[in-house]
Amino acid sequence: MLEIRNLHVNVGGQEILKGVNLTIKDGEVHAIMGPNGAGKSTLSYAICGKDGYEVTEGSVTYNGKDILALDPHERAGEGIFLGFQYPVEIPGVSNMNFLRTALNSQRRYRGEKEMAAVDFLKFVRACAKELDMDPEMLKRSVNVGFSGGEKKRNEMVQMAVLNPSFAVLDETDSGLDIDALKIVAEGINRLRASNKSILMITHYQRLLDYVVPDFVHVLAKGKIVKSGNKDLALLLEEKGYVGLGLEENAA
Amino acid sequence: MAKKLYLENTALKARFEAEKSSFTGSDLAWLNNLRTEAMAQFMAVGIPGPKVEEWKYTNLTFLANENFTALTKSDHKKEAKIYFDKAYIKEIHGPAVVFVNGYLDRTLSIFEGLDEEYFSFFSEQPQNFKNLLENTLGSTSFNHLNRALVTDGYRLVIPENTVLDDIIQIIHIATSAAHMKSFYTRTAIEAGKNAQGQIMESFIGPDHVRYWNHMISDLTLAEGAEMSYVQYQEQGLQAIHMTELHTVVSDAANLKYLTFQLGAELSRTELIHNFVGERADIELRGAYLAQSQQSHDIFTRINHDKPNCDSNQFFRGVLNGGGKSAFQGKVVVGRDAQKTNANQSNKNLLLDRKAEANAKPELLIYADDVKCSHGATIGELDIDQLFYLRARGLDETSAKGLLVEAFISEVFEGWNNEILRQKFRDKAANWLKKR
Repeated sequence: MLEIRNLHVNVGGQEILKGVNLTIKDGEVHAIMGPNGAGKSTLSYAICGKDGYEVTEGSVTYNGKDILALDPHERAGEGIFLGFQYPVEIPGVSNMNFLRTALNSQRRYRGEKEMAAVDFLKFVRACAKELDMDPEMLKRSVNVGFSGGEKKRNEMVQMAVLNPSFAVLDETDSGLDIDALKIVAEGINRLRASNKSILMITHYQRLLDYVVPDFVHVLAKGKIVKSGNKDLALLLEEKGYVGLGLEENAA
Repeated sequence: MAKKLYLENTALKARFEAEKSSFTGSDLAWLNNLRTEAMAQFMAVGIPGPKVEEWKYTNLTFLANENFTALTKSDHKKEAKIYFDKAYIKEIHGPAVVFVNGYLDRTLSIFEGLDEEYFSFFSEQPQNFKNLLENTLGSTSFNHLNRALVTDGYRLVIPENTVLDDIIQIIHIATSAAHMKSFYTRTAIEAGKNAQGQIMESFIGPDHVRYWNHMISDLTLAEGAEMSYVQYQEQGLQAIHMTELHTVVSDAANLKYLTFQLGAELSRTELIHNFVGERADIELRGAYLAQSQQSHDIFTRINHDKPNCDSNQFFRGVLNGGGKSAFQGKVVVGRDAQKTNANQSNKNLLLDRKAEANAKPELLIYADDVKCSHGATIGELDIDQLFYLRARGLDETSAKGLLVEAFISEVFEGWNNEILRQKFRDKAANWLKKR
């Protein structure tokens, strides 16, 4: 279970999050929507520990553990996964090598045995196949020369391989055509299980047609201003943030 | 008073006089005369000071004050064997020629599979090195010093149309007996017409032992000859390591050279290349990694005096802590060298605010129909890449290690031997963890 209490976050000396409260229980899927500049990405980076995202007040605990005290790799080891809005290109590091290093680092952190090279190869190929990724792409440098859709698909393959217990997906659906969107949705739905939870950050309601959330929250001006079920997303789509009185000017 | 450009070290002169009678080949008049003359030439010039342009990034002032003496032969068999086992690459198999503290060691060497008639050694047949030592064209002061004090070295002559299939490993070992000693080796590789050969040379020695080794290699490629030559240096962190490679390349000859500088307190790699034929092709690759207290200096000169030749230089360095590096590369394309393709690339990564990389690429073109490029960059690790890796579970050191490996490995990619590629890649990947 993830609990965010009164979270205040500064970026570059400016307060972006101004007291966010959110509880995500095991097995739940939450969606956060909100206009541009509301602090959606800041929330995901703060949960995952990016440098420059300074928590000035409040707490984030995961399964009772204070994760704000942990390094990013330790948060990953605890089972937290961040799906990037803009997956980063890493020339010279093959996808395969990257995934194996990441998985074994997490296993070491948890005191588990590292996965043998042969077993890993089989496992990662199976994950790629299920998400329709050409196995050749596993040999290529991480995200280098990948299209927008391929990058997002690669995020889903990484998520399948690392098998996190809590995933924060930062606008994983942005810039995708309908086929790519379905793949991403499939990747998310595959992860859904009674002991796993997901926080989806999205700009549009579209993704929520494929991954139906248990709760929808609206983040505006650094705070969660409205919460509801999936109908809230539909209402937003119909009336807009201004129509619901959540934003003075349309983004 | 103007500052002196060159520095004096009278201890070296005193050492020369004291050792004169015990030098290799001291019974040979020509060699004695040559040594005496070379020592005089060295003393007349001296050690390059910080104002000498070629040495502006590597301060040798300490060399004028430290007293490096000659090595007295001592029992170091056990220790040398340990280093041999570390340096010899079993996966490559094949022959190995081993030098310990500047002298050939026949017991550690593996002559099986080696065409011994192609090899000769200075300590055994100094007369075979006469022409080599007498040639002083373009000699620097260290050149003279090396000729005066030369301890040993090998000469490999590959006859024409001969292809040596095995990679020959040349292993230079220093032991703890080398503390405050210096040794000077001289090597020559001559590949005949259409001959082919591969050399993997490694330098290894203990930490906490200060010594100065200086090696000059002369590489001559006749028409159509093909050589690949690797120099890999992983000596202890107090070693002073200097090498000069002088290459002369004839028609349609092809040289592939790779250097990887990992150890030593100070390393200096000079690569001087001359084209004497057309349609020849040389490729120089280099990687250097420096931690605090280490500095690597790469110095290249490529003289394109003939048309239709290609040269490619590709150097990458990573500097951590207070590590330092310098890349000085000059390409000179002469008036007659039309259709020259000359490329030079040097990129550096600084992992720390105290780290320092210097790059001085130079291109002088006197011909009008050529394709030349040069570029140098000095940058830092990409913070987004670092966070991406950390968010996937890699701790900070491992994440940096992976990015360093990726950056440096571009140097090794495309090298013709998979075993060496993998070995060097692994060395780069573990570099941040180990030291």
